[in-house]
Amino acid sequence: MIRLEGVNKFFGHHHVLKNINLNVKSGEKLVIIGPSGSGKSTLIRSANLLEKPTSGKVIVNGVDITAPKAPVAKVRQSVAMVFQQFNLYPHKTVLENLTLAPVLIKGVPKAEAEESAKAFLERVGLTAKANAYPSQLSGGQQQRVAIARALNMKPQIMLFDEPTSALDPEMIQEVLDVMVDLAHGGITMVVVTHEMGFARQVADRVIFMDEGEIIEQGPPEHFFVNPTHERTKLFLSRILR
Amino acid sequence: MVSPFAWFKWQALIRDWSVFGQGFANTLLAAALALALALGLGIVFGVFGAAPVKLTRVLNRIYVEFIQNTPLVIQVFFLYNGLPHLGVMLPVLVVGVLGVGVYHGAYIAEVVRAGIQSIHRGQLEAGLSQGFSYVGAMRHIILPQAARVVLPPLTNQAVSLVKNTSVLALIAGGDLMYHADSWSSDTLYYGPAYVLVGVLYLIICYPLATLARNLERRAGVSG
Amino acid sequence: MKKKLVAALSLLLVIGLLSGCGAAQTKSGDTGSKDAPDIKAIKDRGVLKVGVKVDVPNFGYKDPKTNKIDGFEVDLAKAIAKKILGNAEKVDLQAVTAKTRGPLLDSGEVDIVAATFTINEERKKSYNFSDPYYTDSVGLLVKKAAGYTGLKDLNGKTIGVAQSSTSKKAIKEAADKLGIKVSFLEFNTYPEIKAALDSGRVDAFSVDKSILSGYLDASTVILPDSFSPQEYGIASKKGNDALAKLVNDTVNEMKKSGEIDNLIKKWSLK
Repeated sequence: MIRLEGVNKFFGHHHVLKNINLNVKSGEKLVIIGPSGSGKSTLIRSANLLEKPTSGKVIVNGVDITAPKAPVAKVRQSVAMVFQQFNLYPHKTVLENLTLAPVLIKGVPKAEAEESAKAFLERVGLTAKANAYPSQLSGGQQQRVAIARALNMKPQIMLFDEPTSALDPEMIQEVLDVMVDLAHGGITMVVVTHEMGFARQVADRVIFMDEGEIIEQGPPEHFFVNPTHERTKLFLSRILR
Repeated sequence: MVSPFAWFKWQALIRDWSVFGQGFANTLLAAALALALALGLGIVFGVFGAAPVKLTRVLNRIYVEFIQNTPLVIQVFFLYNGLPHLGVMLPVLVVGVLGVGVYHGAYIAEVVRAGIQSIHRGQLEAGLSQGFSYVGAMRHIILPQAARVVLPPLTNQAVSLVKNTSVLALIAGGDLMYHADSWSSDTLYYGPAYVLVGVLYLIICYPLATLARNLERRAGVSG
Repeated sequence: MKKKLVAALSLLLVIGLLSGCGAAQTKSGDTGSKDAPDIKAIKDRGVLKVGVKVDVPNFGYKDPKTNKIDGFEVDLAKAIAKKILGNAEKVDLQAVTAKTRGPLLDSGEVDIVAATFTINEERKKSYNFSDPYYTDSVGLLVKKAAGYTGLKDLNGKTIGVAQSSTSKKAIKEAADKLGIKVSFLEFNTYPEIKAALDSGRVDAFSVDKSILSGYLDASTVILPDSFSPQEYGIASKKGNDALAKLVNDTVNEMKKSGEIDNLIKKWSLK
């Protein structure tokens, strides 16, 4: 579904991604963990080309989006992203946040887009906030709206870039609940997170990154119980304290 | 001595009111057209200046620096007396609209660029990640937000644009200032003439300035 | 109260008589202590403030090389300064334009204006004018290439004039008589009109002939037509009537003595 082939990324002289090869299968739940600065955010942002790799290929559904004149915008319609900072459109209501892109980009009739928007708002438990503005919502509510906004594009793949890192602790669970619910729905998910409980619960595969490289990967039962690499052990011992 | 504001001078002014009426109409027309042009140029070049493309940023710099660092009077004088030597004889109203519009377009471009750059980068990324093109994200996501930030300084630009249409007087442009100069130098009754002109400019500019203040207050409250 | 007034009046009379006698012996320029307040103010200041043109060659022109203002009207101003202050160099020359000379008089920034200021009835309502020291007429400067021979060829054409000049009215009347139509564009300064003539914005440059001669060049020609002879006078503020009289007397003395004619020759006018 998403394939990264020999992806390198430099910021100036800083080598952030080192020859990354990764294949995400349809319906797979992939969780990426690693210390901050390990390149995991850059990796997930390469998957929809918000970061353009310095070299290597990113292939989504068979389309090489790193090729010149690739239909990047078209591909992005099917690869939704949820950001650490929510990035809701502050000048639009919650409902408008959900319908803006489907109507303008995909050409979905407005009534239809609103109907599905309301269904997704119900799914994330925010039907009552349809006409509120983002600034009137708590952080947890905003992130749930952001997930609903991503869903209303009817994507094939969902990318989550540290979706709970900016939240107050008491709001983290409400967002994770929504994500667990999504995972059960069968959509392809790539999640960068520090929430190990979530990783254990939903991941088909966990990847550990450090210093721009994939150090270790495997199903969560092996990964958490029996990590092979020293750096993985060190990281897990710190985070699972 | 006879006061510059003697009553008979005011009577003459009232008798010749149509001279000032015509000037006022021309000033309004020139200001409206110049403002439309300035807004168009300002938005396009403001977006150019904030774009991740070197070429457009260079174009923005050339335009803004050239216009901001040469006097408006010289630019207008060039359009009026310079271009004809190159075989281009623009009507004087066009000279005024072009001169004032292009001049303030440069200032508005800076205001717009600053406004765009004040919007968090995540907004653009959110738009792009949903499949918007850069231009589409600008139009539907960034610019509407930048507009709130930008409206107060933009309105101030509109006020000074209106006042700057008086450069038309230097090139016999038939605006309010030209007719006031012409009338008062014929009669030497400059007292009432310039008081009236001041009041007429105030009538255009004061509502704009008030609007700017209100927008500024609103932006302050919500932001 | 009445007694005091009478006493004051008689005192004034005595002083006036005394100084009147004394005047015969003193040099011209010292008119004694009977000065009216407007003259006294100038004497107290020790310098006469005169508004002159700086862009009209031979009348009032600032040479960009020397930064000195020279011309017929500057010499007139000096003669008046000599009359009031006894020294022709006690003049403070200030550049005026057609637009600023009125306000500068009103505000007292200048005492008198000698700046190709045409005398007319309307202006006399606002300012005191001396008798004329020069008679000029309105002329037309056109491009040689246009081939115009007179105003009659300018039907439907545009004529550039200076704001506050009387040439617009003069040309309009002459055009009406000829049965032709011309339109006018007004500019602040003469160089701007010349630029507009060169760029083709106007077809003719019309102002007093004495001024036009300063803008004649290889590509232009002054048409033989003359319109509306007009007289230049020295203007002063209404109310400063003693100053006006003194200025007028000086002008008339200079006319009688032939000094004016000499100056006109000196500055090759006409």
